[in-house]
Amino acid sequence: MNELNTFLFNIFLFSLFFNVGISLYGIFARPSLIKKIIALTIFSDTANVLAIVVGYREWPSPEQPPIPPVITKVEPSSEDLRQFVNQAVDPLPQALVLTAIVIGLAVTLFLVFLTLQVYRLYGTTDVRRVAKLRG
Amino acid sequence: MRVKRLLVLGSLIVLVLTLSLAFTNGALGYYPLPLPGVRLLASWYLYTTLNPWYPMFTVMSPEAVTAIVWDYRGLDTLFETAVFFLAIVGALALMRGVSLKSVLNNGGDKDKGGLSLICKTATRLLTPLIIAVSASIALHGHLTPGGGFQGGSAAAVAPLLVLVIFSVYFLLSKGVSEKPMLILRTAGLLGIYLTALVAVLAGLLTGLNAYVFQNQPKSSAPIGLPAQVSNTLISGSLFFFNVFEYLAVAGGFTLVFILLSIPEEIAKSFISGESHE
Amino acid sequence: MIELNTLTYLFMAVAGIISLIATYLAVLENDLVKAVIFSALQSTVYTILFYLLMAPDIALVYIPVAVGLYPAVILFLIKKTERTESDLKEGRGGSK
Repeated sequence: MNELNTFLFNIFLFSLFFNVGISLYGIFARPSLIKKIIALTIFSDTANVLAIVVGYREWPSPEQPPIPPVITKVEPSSEDLRQFVNQAVDPLPQALVLTAIVIGLAVTLFLVFLTLQVYRLYGTTDVRRVAKLRG
Repeated sequence: MRVKRLLVLGSLIVLVLTLSLAFTNGALGYYPLPLPGVRLLASWYLYTTLNPWYPMFTVMSPEAVTAIVWDYRGLDTLFETAVFFLAIVGALALMRGVSLKSVLNNGGDKDKGGLSLICKTATRLLTPLIIAVSASIALHGHLTPGGGFQGGSAAAVAPLLVLVIFSVYFLLSKGVSEKPMLILRTAGLLGIYLTALVAVLAGLLTGLNAYVFQNQPKSSAPIGLPAQVSNTLISGSLFFFNVFEYLAVAGGFTLVFILLSIPEEIAKSFISGESHE
Repeated sequence: MIELNTLTYLFMAVAGIISLIATYLAVLENDLVKAVIFSALQSTVYTILFYLLMAPDIALVYIPVAVGLYPAVILFLIKKTERTESDLKEGRGGSK
């Protein structure tokens, strides 16, 4: 049973790595600027999922999952806090991923406005044709 | 080329399954995945996030992720807000001087255009609901999962819906144009700035030592913000940070959408210098 | 019956495979509007994954940002520029 759980978790991890590979191919090889922006957003989102997988922990028992890092009792006692530390998931990668999503959004917004300016100046968004024009 | 695409997809899935089978049976060694237990730093953060028995280390907020974002690692969030601000400044600079005021003919445009009557009635019902839910997410950020950025980006969906289903002239005639949104964003950023400096100002006035971005009293800085207001937990500066971040983010996104929806002919005529305003 | 932890890991594996299919179709599609729709489908699958990995804060950010704001901004951009992407085989040749 433990082997089956590890096998399923490995399928999930390897599909994330293949997502990274396909989106990198999309950034380098497809000729349209808008396709490059779409592939860049897929790449940064997959990197965020990998960061949160690092913070996951093993199940304390087969019927009891780990809990998100939020205390749900109104006035916790000392014993409740120790129980919480033994069951909760790591909160630090989640805070770092929150910052990373905001910065990725800001960069994408700026890239969209730059692509609009390239279209206004050169009349095309195909990088091969822009390279032939030579400014 | 549908067959070729399906074949490549099928072979990718088979490759994923084979690689994970090899990895499970020990191709690169036997590692326990996922890992048991959390790291030492994570258990420290989880232990001291709501702990009245350690009054010099605690944050008094039952939500560990918001406490890390605004208290334990507050300076990271300060620089993230600066990066977002610079992106919006860049977008504004690329569209400087372009505005729709010269095309509006005193409210005659706002009723034509847009989608059908069903879409318009549904949007009229949904928009107050979206704004109420986003305000609830932002104000409860120190007690439940949520916070300023989550609420702000959910609140930016409502002007986007009105923009697409009615028209941009309708949105401008309701008073939501570039300048009020810029004022809202600047008010939010000023609020964040002042909340970060409140402890320092109180320390200067009473002669005690205090730090920038301080939340609760520490051992060498005995002044801080209150953690409870008449038996309700507000966790010091976390509540005010969430409210001001909500206003700043909602204003910033709405500004970008209004700039992006100006039609191309009007933008070209401004940029090539034919119209003057 | 199946135990709870095996069921959760099975959901994670199925969601991973669906996201692989959606990414492949999004990168190799010539019509850019269809590529944006596939990218939004992949972001929905990632939201389910964030929920299964016990990260509700990130799931709350991810739904408005990646399913609402990113496709809206890119659709505005497509409306103002070109809608289809030319194939990899055309565009070569010609004088340089």
